[in-house]
Amino acid sequence: MVEFLQFTLSGISFGMIYAAVALSLVLIWRGTRLLNFAQGGMAMFTTYVAYEVIRHTGSYWAGFAVALAAGVVLGAVAELAVIRPALGKPELNAVIITIGLLIFLEGLAGILYGGQYRSFPAAFAIIGLRAGSTPLGVSRFDVFVAAAVLATTLLLAIGFRYTSAGLRMRAAAFNTTIARLSGIRVARVITMGWALAGLLGALAGVLVSPSTFLYPNSMDSIFVFGFTAAVIGGLDSPAGSVVGGLLLGVALSYAGGYLGSQGSDLTALVALGILVVVLMFRPDGIFSGPRVRRV
Amino acid sequence: MNSPAGAQGVQGVHRDGAASLAVVDLVAGYGEVLALEGVTITADAATITAVLGANGAGKTTLLRAISGMVRPRGGQILLDGADRTGRGPEDMARAGIAHVPEGQGVIAELTVEENLRIGMMSWPGIAWRRADRAAALAEAYERFGVLADRRRKLAGTLSGGERQMLVIARALVARPRVLLLDEPSLGLAPRVMTQVMDMVVRLSRESGITVVLVEQNARGALAIADRGVVLNLGRVVAAADAKTLAADVALRHHYLGF
Repeated sequence: MVEFLQFTLSGISFGMIYAAVALSLVLIWRGTRLLNFAQGGMAMFTTYVAYEVIRHTGSYWAGFAVALAAGVVLGAVAELAVIRPALGKPELNAVIITIGLLIFLEGLAGILYGGQYRSFPAAFAIIGLRAGSTPLGVSRFDVFVAAAVLATTLLLAIGFRYTSAGLRMRAAAFNTTIARLSGIRVARVITMGWALAGLLGALAGVLVSPSTFLYPNSMDSIFVFGFTAAVIGGLDSPAGSVVGGLLLGVALSYAGGYLGSQGSDLTALVALGILVVVLMFRPDGIFSGPRVRRV
Repeated sequence: MNSPAGAQGVQGVHRDGAASLAVVDLVAGYGEVLALEGVTITADAATITAVLGANGAGKTTLLRAISGMVRPRGGQILLDGADRTGRGPEDMARAGIAHVPEGQGVIAELTVEENLRIGMMSWPGIAWRRADRAAALAEAYERFGVLADRRRKLAGTLSGGERQMLVIARALVARPRVLLLDEPSLGLAPRVMTQVMDMVVRLSRESGITVVLVEQNARGALAIADRGVVLNLGRVVAAADAKTLAADVALRHHYLGF
């Protein structure tokens, strides 16, 4: 029972990181019907930025803040510089550009920092919390991870629901034609979506790197799990991406915990299994509404 | 014809009132196919112009070109005499041209009120005051009571007639100078169709909006229009007062099917 609690809590903590990546993918998908393969690479790169700031200033929070800002800038610049020219061209063009961007960012990180694993600091002690004498399997930092992603997600949800900018983004995502005909500058909305996605990716990168170490490919597997979470939840659904992330995080945590020494090697397989099962019963993801998309 | 005095905007939203629209020698198409081969149409301020013709005559392309959805290959689009040719739909909307495309006027995934608020996106930046927004919504709900009852419902749950009401209400909120309507009566029951047409008339008369109305239902359209234009294969074959067109038996038989 204690084990179960531990696995669940640590699964939630990791799941929130998958959720952040998933949500970043959903934001871009909704605006442009494009899967951003560079999302992990962008997150990795902004984490290096944080690493550099922390090294020079000695302040974790300065690094944290700069990483998020760098994520916003990188997202917007990537969209304006390399994605925008491919809009209106065959869809595969933009997909290949995102893969190119990924290779570019990982290559650049490799040139600047080499391939070695670097340890990245955590905001809080990573000593396990206890309830009385029972270890909970999570640290204060894990709690911070979950809280930070949750807070960011809630802020975004409120922004989408209650602000004019949020309404513009939703309108553009649901019906580009009507949005443009109503005077909404959809191109700007798309840039904003990329900027927010960059922010979420940067958050995920900073939060996950204390556990995974930082190296040019360090976000690859996180990207894959984040993508899986997004598909499980339904690529169109921000809420679904969070639920998908949590589901996946907890499931992988159980797999890693209960399947013994092989468990951690099997996580990818478990993720694939969940994906297949979900897609068999809900081809558009758990949170897909009735099919309303028009051609 | 001069624009009538007293064309009022929603409180606080200042556009220049009704505008005349002129399309001069417009050429537009898709790929190798030309849908419009030199179309000239003028719509005086605060009038209703019906654009009629068979399928493939170029009616929808004409509206799409005016609203910037299709880039013209030649000719000019003048709003109150100012050249707007080649602008994108966002700019056209902000210049005061509202285009309601056929059969897809509402965003089904948004609530009724959110759909109405979309109408404010083309407002000049200076008009973003909370009171103005509230006033515009209140005015729309006052005119369309059925929408007030459903303001929190998703637009996708509305009936066809209610959706068309919502589209027109949104146009009212947007305070356009020119309203382009593509087949607003398509798929509606006759009674609802009459309501929609009445609304179009009121919108034009009371709010001083210049309406360009594309319709398959030529008889109904000519009944409410000031002028009619008949397109055939991308060219204007007739343009006259609505009454004159409706009385032209040969033209009706040949192009309008009634």
